[in-house]
Amino acid sequence: MHAAESAPIVVSGIGVTASIGQGRRAFADALLAGEHRFAAMRRPGRQKPASDGDVAPAFIGAEIADLRMPDAVAAAKLRNLSWSAQVALATLQEAWDDAELDDVDPRRIGLIVGGSNFQQRELALTQAKYQHQPEFLRPTHAMTFMDTDLCGVCSETFGIRGLAITVGGASASGQLAAIQAIEAVRSGQVDVCIALGALMDLSYFECQAFRSLGAMGSDRYAHQPELACRPFDRDRDGFIFGEACGAIVVRRAADATRTPYAELKGWAMAWDANRNPNPSLEGETAVIRGALARAGLSADAIDYVNPHGTASVVGDETELAALRACGLDRAHLNSTKSLVGHGLSAAGMVELIAVMLQMQAGRLHPSRNLDSPIDAGFRWVGATAIDHVVERALNMSMGFGGINTAICLQRS
Amino acid sequence: MNLEDVFAIIVGHTREVVPGLDDYAFQFTDSLRELGANSIDRSEVVMLALESLSLKAPMIDFARAENMGELATLLHAKL
Repeated sequence: MHAAESAPIVVSGIGVTASIGQGRRAFADALLAGEHRFAAMRRPGRQKPASDGDVAPAFIGAEIADLRMPDAVAAAKLRNLSWSAQVALATLQEAWDDAELDDVDPRRIGLIVGGSNFQQRELALTQAKYQHQPEFLRPTHAMTFMDTDLCGVCSETFGIRGLAITVGGASASGQLAAIQAIEAVRSGQVDVCIALGALMDLSYFECQAFRSLGAMGSDRYAHQPELACRPFDRDRDGFIFGEACGAIVVRRAADATRTPYAELKGWAMAWDANRNPNPSLEGETAVIRGALARAGLSADAIDYVNPHGTASVVGDETELAALRACGLDRAHLNSTKSLVGHGLSAAGMVELIAVMLQMQAGRLHPSRNLDSPIDAGFRWVGATAIDHVVERALNMSMGFGGINTAICLQRS
Repeated sequence: MNLEDVFAIIVGHTREVVPGLDDYAFQFTDSLRELGANSIDRSEVVMLALESLSLKAPMIDFARAENMGELATLLHAKL
């Protein structure tokens, strides 16, 4: 192995935006306090029209209430930016500043945007508005409907010239972006690579399809939205959407200008050769073992696991079976999705960030609504945060289409 | 609707699309390009004006306008 390929890879910058807080400090505080913003979703394009022309009961989710844009982004520029792009810019600005990238050669900086089909809600709004007057459709729609518009918007704003691509891995996209960023730095393609888990902006069409598929939570908690999101609880019945975006700056440890958040010790991807949304015990155990092996760690060395935990009926059980099969039933465990919901393309990145912020705080955040865990044999963090200095953690993601990812982190 | 009304509509959309022109005193002789509108911005301004005027016409019909006054004249002629 080439020396550069074996150099330790670290995270030297973080940016995060979620319903519970914008910025790593606000986000960490809210995580540790167990806050949530689950409610009936109000963003235009997420209300399901009823058959009688009225508005049907809204889907439950967690939306970003108030986005602060960085001063560098002119207000007038926002009119042509999708919601996903606006949140990406605000999030990336934080990570960029945190990692002090202004002094890095822009030709040596890369950007991997995790996710695809980001702008479904805006597509639904556009199609509804111009259905009967297509002649007036905005010319800029031709730019914004493409996922790679996020690459263009971010690279133009920050002057990134080394690399800018999207990678799609359904709900594992955020972690897939992190893994691709690690590989871009290891291979020498760039010196610094930003991995961004982009906000997937669902419309009611996707919410309805997810619900029909049995993946999204039902109307069971329509009148108690605070109870709807309950990963690993016996009363779960599907994921609850949460708007989110996260970005990390990946580089070799020797190049970092500040104390890193964590070392990215090991990572793995595995495919199930299965287009469907059902989980695979084989695929999940493969990535757990693969990430541990690359990190050179045994399961006993992992003292905290941040699982995927969508609250899918079968998915949560399969994930716990995989953790048990890999000897990870003694590590502490909580669910970030129980606080922020399922960010889909952003989820894996936001959870990776949650791991590092908990490492930094020396505390593990609570799991909401974990009233009756489906397996009480695990070391769950329940309704209140606990003190725990994480030395080595494992973070997992899975996505429709049979993708599994896992990343192993070590405290710097 | 007279020519000045059409010009006012173009001015309104130009302020919407091009940053920093909120207090600018627009003249018929002003060039959108010289005011900082790139080709995409200019097409957005024309399309927004067409929508405001409920005027269905191909964008190419307005490509020869050298300034905002000429654009207003071309639009007004199609009303």
